Formats: sequence, C-alpha cells, structure tokens
Amino acid sequence: MRCVRVWFNKTGAIRYISHLDLMRTMTRAIRRSGIPLWYTEGFNPHPYMTFALPLSLGMESVCESMDIRIEGDVTNDDLFISLRDAMPDGITVTAVKDPVTDPKYIALAAFDVTFHDVPDPAALADTIETLLSGEHLIVQKIGKKGHKKVVKDVDLLEHLKAYRVRREGDVLHLDLVLPAGSVTNVNPALLCDEIMKHSAGYYVILRTKLLTADGKTFE
Amino acid sequence: MINKDVQAILPRVQKPGRYIGGELNSEVKDKTNVDLRYAFCFPDSYEIGMSHLGMKILYAAANDRDDVWCERVFAPWHDMEAEMRSAGVPLYALESGDPIKDFDLIGFTLMYELCYTNVLNMLDLAGLPVRAKDRHALTPIVVAGGPCTCNPEPMVDFIDVISLGEGEEMYDAFFDLLKDCKQRGASKDEFLHAAAKLPGFYVPSLYDVTYRDDGTIDAVTPKDGAPAVIPKMVVSDLDHVRYPDKFVVPYIEVVHDRVVHEIMRGCIRGCRFCQAGFLYRPIREKTADTVNDQCRALCDATGYDEISLSSLSTSDYTHLEELLDKLLTWTIPEKINIALPSLRVDNFSDELMEKLKKVRRSGLTFAPEAGTQRLRDAINKNVTEEEVLRTARMAFAGGWTAVKLYFMIGHPTETLDDVAGIADLAQAVVNEFYRNPDKPKGKGVTVSLSVASFVPKPFTPFQWEPQDTRDMLLQKQAHLLESIHTKKISVSYHKVDISFLEGVFARGDRKLSDVIEWAWRHGCKFDGWDDSFHFDVWMDAFDACGTDPAFYANRRRDFTEVLPWDHLDFGIRKAFLQHENEKAHHSETTPHCRLKCAGCGANRLNGGHCDAMRQSMV
Ligand code: SF4
Repeated sequence: MRCVRVWFNKTGAIRYISHLDLMRTMTRAIRRSGIPLWYTEGFNPHPYMTFALPLSLGMESVCESMDIRIEGDVTNDDLFISLRDAMPDGITVTAVKDPVTDPKYIALAAFDVTFHDVPDPAALADTIETLLSGEHLIVQKIGKKGHKKVVKDVDLLEHLKAYRVRREGDVLHLDLVLPAGSVTNVNPALLCDEIMKHSAGYYVILRTKLLTADGKTFE
Repeated sequence: MINKDVQAILPRVQKPGRYIGGELNSEVKDKTNVDLRYAFCFPDSYEIGMSHLGMKILYAAANDRDDVWCERVFAPWHDMEAEMRSAGVPLYALESGDPIKDFDLIGFTLMYELCYTNVLNMLDLAGLPVRAKDRHALTPIVVAGGPCTCNPEPMVDFIDVISLGEGEEMYDAFFDLLKDCKQRGASKDEFLHAAAKLPGFYVPSLYDVTYRDDGTIDAVTPKDGAPAVIPKMVVSDLDHVRYPDKFVVPYIEVVHDRVVHEIMRGCIRGCRFCQAGFLYRPIREKTADTVNDQCRALCDATGYDEISLSSLSTSDYTHLEELLDKLLTWTIPEKINIALPSLRVDNFSDELMEKLKKVRRSGLTFAPEAGTQRLRDAINKNVTEEEVLRTARMAFAGGWTAVKLYFMIGHPTETLDDVAGIADLAQAVVNEFYRNPDKPKGKGVTVSLSVASFVPKPFTPFQWEPQDTRDMLLQKQAHLLESIHTKKISVSYHKVDISFLEGVFARGDRKLSDVIEWAWRHGCKFDGWDDSFHFDVWMDAFDACGTDPAFYANRRRDFTEVLPWDHLDFGIRKAFLQHENEKAHHSETTPHCRLKCAGCGANRLNGGHCDAMRQSMV
C-alpha cells in the first residue's frame, strides 16, 4: 500500500458542485478507472481518500489535490492515464505524484478573480484599488458556533497578504493571496461580494496555488 | 452547457449543481446534425427526476437515433425559478443549455397527479402558452407519458398528444412522423391527425366529450376518423428491448443514486387497490443472464457501488435465486451492494434469507396493507398474519431489530375494527421479537408503521368506489393512535389533504383543467412537497371554477357510468374489474396469476402472451 497525490483542475460549470458532491464524484470515477485501490479492513471496507483543502462551492481551481492509497506496483504514470480517462467533464487530472508537503502546513492560497459583464471595467479597477489600499475593509461574515449561526465583523485588509489588479482585454482580473488552511481561512468571495456592490456583472474565482506559511508551493 | 445569464444567477441559488448539466454519460450531440430536438421534461425537482428509471430508459432509446437529440429538463426549485424569471432566462435543457421553446418536441412524464401544476409552470417558464389550443405552430409538440396517462383527462387541454404505455419502441414511428411533417412544412393539425392513427398515441383534441345534467359523462366521440378506443402499447420481449448500458451519473445527491435494474414488468398478485399492479400487465420477465449482463455494464459505466433490483414484487421474479448467485460472484469482490425492494413476506424461503444476508442489510419492510384478515381478503392482499409473523421471526433470528410495516387506511369496506387490527398486528410483531430466545442482548425492537390513505384509481377494481372523506380518514388515524399501547410502535401518516387532491385528479375529467390552471395562476406548484402544498388555494380554485371536488373523490360510480378513461384500453377488461369489485364486497380472494390466470385481459395487448400464464400452465 502506498499513498499518491492526484492533482486535478475543477473548472467550468462543475464549480457549482459542493465538496461533498466532489467526493462522491471522485469515488465513482476511481471505481470506473479500475485502479487498484486500497480498502480499509473490517466490517465495512472503504477506500482512503483525503483532499488537501476543500474548495468552496462556486470556485474554480487549477491546484486541487487528493491523496489516495493504492495497492500493487502500478506506476504513477499508469495511474495518471487511468484516472484521467475516467473523469467527468470539468475535472482534469494533471498529474499523479508522490506527496511532498503535509497538508497541515497549508497557510495561504492564491486566487485569480475575473469580473464579467462589467459595464465599465476601468471604473471598477479604480474602485478596487481604492477599496484595497484603504485602512480597513470591514465585512460581515456568517460563521457557525456549534449549531448556531453567528455574524461577526472581519477586516479583510488585515488578512489580505497581496493583491494586484490587471486588465486583459475586456476582462478585469484581481490576483489575491489570502490565509487558507486549518488555522485561518478567508473566503475571497467576501471581498468580491463587497466589490460587486459597486458594479453590475458577476465574478468567477479561480484558485491558482496553495502555499505554506513561508511562501513555498504546496506540492 | 450553461450560458452566461445562468452563470450570473447560479451563485445565488440553493444546490446550483441541479442546473448545470454536463454529468458523466449525458448525451451531447452536434445540434446542426440532428433533425429533431427533444426536451424530455420531468415535472419535479432534479433529485426526484434523476431517480426515475423510466426517464433513463427513454433517454437512452431516443438518443439511440442519430437524428434525434433528447435532453433532460427538470422543474427549477422556487428560488431558481424566481431568479430565472427576474433575469429573463427561459427554461433550458441541461445538455445544450438551449431554450426548450425552440425544440421540436417537449415530453412530460406524468408520474403522479400532484405534479400537474409543475407541467403548466414549466411550459410557462419556457415561454409557451399553457393551453394546447393556443400553441399554433407545428413545433414544439407537447407530448405526455407515464402512469397518469391512464387517465390524462384533467391535463389534456394542456397537452397535444398522450402516449399510452411503454415508450421504448413506440416512439420511433412518432419521431419519423414529426420529422416528415417538419420537412414538408405541414401544419400542426395535419400532424395531430396523422399521430392519432399511430398505435398507442391519443390525440385528445380529436375527441368531443359531452356531459349529462348530473355532471357525469354522456359520451366521448372521436372526430375525423380518430379511433374510438386507443390501446396502450406494450414491449413484448424485455430481453431484447433497448435497456440503457449507461446512466447519467448526477453530481449532486439524488433520491435513488445507484444502478436500478428492472427485472420484470407487471405483477401477478392482483391486489385490488394497486394501480401499478394492473397497469403494467401482462407479466413479462427478463432472464437472469440479461439482468446480470446489463447490471455489469451499468456498474462499469457509472462507478456505482449499489444495484437495486426493481419490480413491483421482487420475490415473484422466478429467477431470483439464480440471479443472486450470478450477481454475487462479482459484486462481492467489487464491494457492490445489492438492494432488493418490494420483497413479499409469504414466499421468503430460508435459502433466500441466507442469500439476503450477503446483500444489503437495511431495515426490513413488509406491506400487509390492512390490519385484519377479512379486509386483506377484500383487497386481495393474500398475506396471512401467520406469514407476517413467521417472516418477522426469521428476520429477528437473522439479527434484524427494526421492522417497517406498510398499511393503508380508507380501503373500501373498512371499519374501525379493521383499523384497530393494524395496531394488533404491529403488537403481535413486537411480541414475536421478545419470544425469540437468541434476541440480541440489550437491544429493543422498533416497529414503524407507515400508514397511507387509500386513493381509488382508474383501471383497478376499486375505480368505482368513493374515497373516504378527509373527516373519515382523520377519524381513522385518531382511532389507530388510540389503539396503540407501546412506544415500540411508531406511526407516520400521509397528509389527508394531499390524498384527497390526488383522489380528485386520479379520476377527474376534462372539466378539471380550469381548476388546475386557476390554482397554478394563484401560485400552486410542487404540490407533492408538504412545504409547497397550499390546500386553501386549491379549495379556492374549486370554488372559483364552480367545481365540487367531492364529486370526483367521494362519489360512488355506477357500473354503467361512462368513466373519463373508458376510451383508453390498458388491457384490463372492465368486466374483469367489475367482477373483482363484486368479489371484494364479499371478501372473496382471487388466487395469484401463477396459480390460475384470472382472465384480466392484459395478454390481449401482447398477442395473447403473458409470462405468468405460461408458467401457470406448465
Ligand atoms: S393474463 Fe392472466 S396471468 Fe396474465 S396478468 Fe392477466 S390474469 Fe394474470
């Protein structure tokens, strides 16, 4: 038995399925792929499958990974081909590798947000600059305490590690680096919703990279 | 494939995964290369519709044709509908994302009466007039199938063509005809007249219905050479009919998320309350090899780890043990579960019990349906108390501690004593548990009763019977609760208001279309969902249209009355149903089909053949 890290992208309409749905989808894809999956012993055997950092519903990503355990001496290249061919549209397996970083060291995530159907991209770019270069940007975050919903104020700028606004043709991009992982997690949608209060249109968030606290890429 | 307008609204709705399409095994074709675009609509939520086997079968059959592209459409939930309406997004098909009003054919599956308002709502959301007479162009043609088409009359003003029976094979001629009409530039009228001549297709606008002063039907008169009686179509050989070799695998969790395999059609039992038991006759079985091979292919194509063998009464499938042997050879190593719904209690052998231990161990369910032997005889549910207890005993010995029993109240001839009998039978099952010497230590037993309200349906021996009024049903529910003296027995009910409405539409006529439209215009949709069901609005609808719902639900029909569905031939002879009705009133049973063919008449639709009959003769 050995552990491999399967890297994949989740792009397009499939971003609208939840993490739970993704796990179910992956379980079935793995079954279809026919790779020699390792099962737990015992009364109700199940495969081992764990995701580095769940992706919020609605987000795209080019840096997703899941660790699975397999049996026998099949190579990573063979696993890659079998898994790649078994995936549904929107999930693209990009690599199968031996895991390097322990997911518990994930501390940051980088995002590329695109804004679509925006009537005046130049104006929105200015708005974003103004919002993000200020002192504070307080938004309300709905969290959970036990089973209760609690609303608390979060200063997004306190958490924002880096940002850049850029234009590519008609499309406005916003690159962001925010805390992610088991300690602090800031959903970029909080920031984007705040921005969209100033313009019509909609946005799509793409997660591009996971990083450790000292800025190394999670691999 | 969803467009930008939809992308903009999806972040704001619950479970957006319902609306994106693109699931594994969904059919994507080049629209410039097909002649007919077909929107297959299920008038309920994605989760319900995607669980429906009939839709999977017809989806595969239609897409087998290179010239047809069949796509799926479900009813958007309230929040999505509101977003779509405010953004001006019309109802679209999941595979292409294209608006369905531009399709050639729009098909609805009518699974239950309480989805009728959703049909109107979906047509409206598509941007089409809801009434058939207001849609003048040849396309889209709106067609409906499914079990409710055995009496489609309350809906016929909204639908152009009704398909009767099993669609797998009959649609070919229909597609050809529509394609031809489209190419020739024929009118809708021309198409409808030609469609009425295809076997199994009913064009309701070609029939005049006249009424008597008392509101009953005087006559149904065909026009322009339409046939006086329309027979349903049946598939004669299930082994050779198209069965899907792949299912669309949903991303989000749906109600039945597994491989479902239909092992037989029709039911040999003849329970007098059960419409499905008569509607799907004659009996046709698949061979064990066919089922095994098809299950294998489906598991490979989907990655599912559960197979459910479906039929109305799984233990009556003659090859069950052979099939389980075949399946278990590969399902055990591949860690695939097998679920067997609809097992009957009386022919549960020890060997079968042994094999079942290897399949899924969910709760055990029995359906005695009535509490006393007298009433079980009247409804022809040929199960004795001893059989129920014996099976419970075997189940408890096998380690089960939870049993679910299905009953109905409101059967014809039922008295309060029969209702109390439900509690007695449940108590006897509880006692059986404590009599078991090897019962698991420290564990109690739970017996849950699911008690539905009986709704008389067309093409059953009870089609003439009055449904119990809501007050009677409530009284019976209360009486049952008073008759239960232990916490080990729990009871759940169906809402009587919902059953009442179901009763009205099940045996309704064309006059009800106004009521349906009124209720829909006043906000009724998703009526099968408790939270969305507005009984008061429905009552207002009946008032506004001057219609008395009790006329349909609670009235006893005379055997000579012209019933709204008399011009549709579902195989079962009316004389047979009347005879069964008379026997019910004498609490006389009819043996099941393998003991003796009761002469229901359904074999006429299949060239005289019926699998149960063949077996009863050898
Ligand atoms: S034809 Fe005879 S055996 Fe077949 S379903 Fe009807 S009653 Fe039963």
